[in-house]
Amino acid sequence: MPSPRHPLGDHSLPYTVHTELDSDDEVSLDTDTITDGDNITASPSSRGLHKSRPPTFNLNLRHTVDLRAITYNGTVDENLVCPICRCPFVDPVLTDCDHVFCRPCIDDALSESQLCPIDRLPLSSDAVSRAPKMIFNQLDALKAKCPCCGVVLARSMLESHLEKYCLEAVVRCPGAECVKLVKRKISGEDCLHYPMVCPDCKETHDEIDMEAHRENSCNERLKACEHCSAEILRCKEEQHEGECPDVVQPCKWAEYGCQDEAKRKDLPLHADECSYKAMGQMAETLKKEIRSLRSEVRTMNETHHLQERRIKFLEGGQRASDRPLDMMDLSLANLPESTGADALESGHEYLLSLLEAQQGRLSQLSAEVSDFQAKSTMMLFNETLPIKNELAELRSTQQVTCMHVRWLMRFRMQENQRRFGGGPGATSNGGSDGGSSSDLSMGRRLSDSLTRDIITKL
Amino acid sequence: MASSQKRISKELAEVTTNPPEGIHVSLVDESNVHNWNIVMDGPEGSPYAGGKFKLLLVLPNDYPFKPPKINFKTRIWHPNVTFDEHGSMCIGILKPEAWKPSSKILSVLTATQQLLVEPVPDDAVETSAAEKFKNNRAQFNKEAQEYTKKYAK
Repeated sequence: MPSPRHPLGDHSLPYTVHTELDSDDEVSLDTDTITDGDNITASPSSRGLHKSRPPTFNLNLRHTVDLRAITYNGTVDENLVCPICRCPFVDPVLTDCDHVFCRPCIDDALSESQLCPIDRLPLSSDAVSRAPKMIFNQLDALKAKCPCCGVVLARSMLESHLEKYCLEAVVRCPGAECVKLVKRKISGEDCLHYPMVCPDCKETHDEIDMEAHRENSCNERLKACEHCSAEILRCKEEQHEGECPDVVQPCKWAEYGCQDEAKRKDLPLHADECSYKAMGQMAETLKKEIRSLRSEVRTMNETHHLQERRIKFLEGGQRASDRPLDMMDLSLANLPESTGADALESGHEYLLSLLEAQQGRLSQLSAEVSDFQAKSTMMLFNETLPIKNELAELRSTQQVTCMHVRWLMRFRMQENQRRFGGGPGATSNGGSDGGSSSDLSMGRRLSDSLTRDIITKL
Repeated sequence: MASSQKRISKELAEVTTNPPEGIHVSLVDESNVHNWNIVMDGPEGSPYAGGKFKLLLVLPNDYPFKPPKINFKTRIWHPNVTFDEHGSMCIGILKPEAWKPSSKILSVLTATQQLLVEPVPDDAVETSAAEKFKNNRAQFNKEAQEYTKKYAK
């Protein structure tokens, strides 16, 4: 079915605005309702619907973008272009034979013949599934131009851009009773959809269209300038007045007494021979001089104020710092009280001398500290030396004792062995009263543990 | 159908901004993207060299699901083109059973160019030309050159 053509030409919008004034019916706005200029009129279906609107009503309208009609920025990767419609995929699907198409395109193709449009293999509509997420992501990242303002942004962002941000996109008129649409850039004002009489042609137009009407379409929009007889727009008359070459103006030295007047274009000629020329120039230079001197005085005043403040601060600081110094009993504390113009200098000196004194004290203290340290180390050394000697002595004695004990133990063990090995009739000592081998091992174990105990104790 | 028009406009833009060598494309009627005028230079190395052949390309409403139709408006002595006022051409890519919606008009045009260089006598529509092409190539070339001079100015 061929799409209906607009009489103005083939300028169909690549997006649709959903006004949703009728809940059951979406009003599609094409060029009939939104013309390219500032003339925005209500769509016929919504005319006469006057709903009141709370003040916080959202003016945004939902937009649907025809992704096949928008302009993409740069060349799109051939792998992301549908082989049927030759546009970047819209709602891509994957076939069983691994080919990707737009869903509407493959639906159309399969209604013609049940073959894959690329490899001509049999293909049914059941063998078509949603394309991988990766393809969607790549498509979402494609850069496209906004059909309204021309800004370039990701394809997936277009709809929300049109709905919420694009200044050229249409929104509801902010007027509470108004059902018409305006561009977002002028939606900050109140409803401009009220009739106004054109001051030029006395026709009635909506205020919102008035500017365009007066500039472009009003029959009476042009007039001849009273002064230069050039043809000008009535609505731009004041602006022209400011630059018309034939408007009579006073001489630029009028404030110094020149009474002459001339047309704007002749003023430079008059200025050359004006009798006030010399005086005017002199006055101008003097004015300039005075202005620069004034600004100099102002800066001087500022610096003066600043210095005064500084002096006050220093004086205050000096008084505060006197007391602790007194308590420290430093000879520096009785510096002469400085007042007047040299307060700044003496204050500095005073602080510097304080600093020096503190530094001297600090070095003295550190010397004392190191002295103390040396002394204490010496003392410690002297104390520890005899202790160390004693310790060594004790250690040697202990070793001697240890040897003795060991020797004694070995002697005892040998004696035991000899005694047990002697015969069954031999008398027992310690805890062993039988001549059995178990007793022998017992005795050995006992003596073993005993020696070990002694050794560890030592 | 709006989608077919969009695709045709895209292809037209592609062919006119970056035309293949020896092929010039224009619309018969600026308001109708379905009828294309094509002027094709006779390819070098063929008996048609030096001639300019006018062709008419008609894209059906259900393009790209149906193949375009292409006819020679200039008479041409060629085994695969009828030697009459219709100038019907027989070319593999445009046969309904061989057409694929993914084929582009550009490839149809280059295939046509290639057909002028290499006729396919086994798939002939102009049998007398095909006979001569197969059996007496020199005679065929001579006649083709003559007809080119006569018609394809």
